[in-house]
Amino acid sequence: MRASETLRRLIGPIELLHEQAGPRLLRFTRIGIFALWTLKLLLDPLWRLSEMPREMWRPVGVLAFIPAGYTDQFLSANGLAALWSCTLIILALCLTNQAFPFFATGAAFLLTVYSSLIRSFGPAVHTDIVLLLSVYALAAYAWSDWIAAKLSGKKSAPPSWSSYPLITIVCFLCISYCLVGLNRTIAGGINVFTGDTMEAWAVDASLRGYYFNTNIGWHVPEWPGITLMLRGGLPVITLFEILAPLCLAWPRFRWVFIPVMLSFHALSLVFMNIFFFDDMLVYLLLVDWSRRFPSLRAK
Amino acid sequence: MAQHAPSRFPTAIAGAIIVACVAAIVWMISYAVPLKLAGQAYMMIAILLAFRYWPPMFRWVAAMPAVHRLVFALLIGGMICGHYTLNGRTYFPFVVWEIFPFVHEVDPVTCREFIATTESGAKVRLLTEQLFPSIVQVDPLDALDNPGAYPPGTTESLARALAKVYNELHPRDPVRQIDLFNMAVKLHPPSGESRQPSCELLKHYDVSSDQ
Repeated sequence: MRASETLRRLIGPIELLHEQAGPRLLRFTRIGIFALWTLKLLLDPLWRLSEMPREMWRPVGVLAFIPAGYTDQFLSANGLAALWSCTLIILALCLTNQAFPFFATGAAFLLTVYSSLIRSFGPAVHTDIVLLLSVYALAAYAWSDWIAAKLSGKKSAPPSWSSYPLITIVCFLCISYCLVGLNRTIAGGINVFTGDTMEAWAVDASLRGYYFNTNIGWHVPEWPGITLMLRGGLPVITLFEILAPLCLAWPRFRWVFIPVMLSFHALSLVFMNIFFFDDMLVYLLLVDWSRRFPSLRAK
Repeated sequence: MAQHAPSRFPTAIAGAIIVACVAAIVWMISYAVPLKLAGQAYMMIAILLAFRYWPPMFRWVAAMPAVHRLVFALLIGGMICGHYTLNGRTYFPFVVWEIFPFVHEVDPVTCREFIATTESGAKVRLLTEQLFPSIVQVDPLDALDNPGAYPPGTTESLARALAKVYNELHPRDPVRQIDLFNMAVKLHPPSGESRQPSCELLKHYDVSSDQ
């Protein structure tokens, strides 16, 4: 009896994240997500891609629908600058919150084209996919609010509906981690966590260098302590990835999950030159703001 | 006749039988569907079912208007189904979620890189992801020589494209030549051997005429 009581106290409350979220929190989330996309685009000289060799062009997703005759026009400096400008304009319009369903839908389409384009010269990597899916969620739920309000004869969407996109976005984040962890465990098998695999990945990523290039990871085999940390860390991180959906329900787990995963992302940057900075903003949604600040709750 | 208390089937044995049955089903179905897919699917189904029967989640979904419920199902369903297509490109952004999902035991670890020599004689490394920051990642340079994936001459085309962009950004000290090196780092070098990466020149591209 006493043991179960202690266990219950250790586990703490089990409650759905953002269940009480209101329109203000949704508004902040919209601003955050569209502002991050705006910043990403402002830092991106997209038109430079016109110089990339066409031999490397392997269209991803919707770009496969571009007729072969139009590819050169699309990939010209002018075509890319036009895509960049249109996307920026529509992102700015999304930030105004006016006619949000229309502009968010346009942004979802243009950002899909943009995200497909930047992956069409290499592998379809995962960075910013959760952020793109978040735009889908914001756009789709904005339309749903409008349709459901019309159908039920309400003037506007009730405040309690604000939690739907927020919880969906957290689901995207958690499911993406969970699928990565399950895939590594089941497809890779136990041998991923034993042997030299982790050092080989670190050295490989460090030698290749990406946008970030710390030039540290290839030293890993020289440092037995770091090698031990990386080897030991991989199964721990994989376990946290698989358990990520618990973030939706278990506040105490989130307080362990957030620092562990942030440390993992920081170490990935140091040793492997890989950084998912897009996901860092979505991490803010792992905090149940509306339980802390009554002004962010649905009234 | 003495009355016997009704004997209860031990819970532990019942649990063991259920686990054994589930394991047998997984094992049988895995002949039809590869375990790497089936196993992930079972695990994901277990997680989804856990949330399906968790009262706060159930209450939250039940309170949704039908349109919202449809959106929720389509988005989450699309993400999960996209993973099981095992296709990272066609259905983007509903992709397969794999980050380091395989054993990678090579020794030494090798990597090709472009080292450029500028007009002043300085050596600079040309990285596609830095000169074209839109691109998160390109395939490794040795993959560009794979005739099944890229046409012949792709490595040279990329070298020239990198030189062109570099020269636009550094007009005072442009690139004159590019060397393609193969770098190798031994994970377990013999004792006493240097741990510095070994460096082998593979090709040399003269880009001075591209100005």
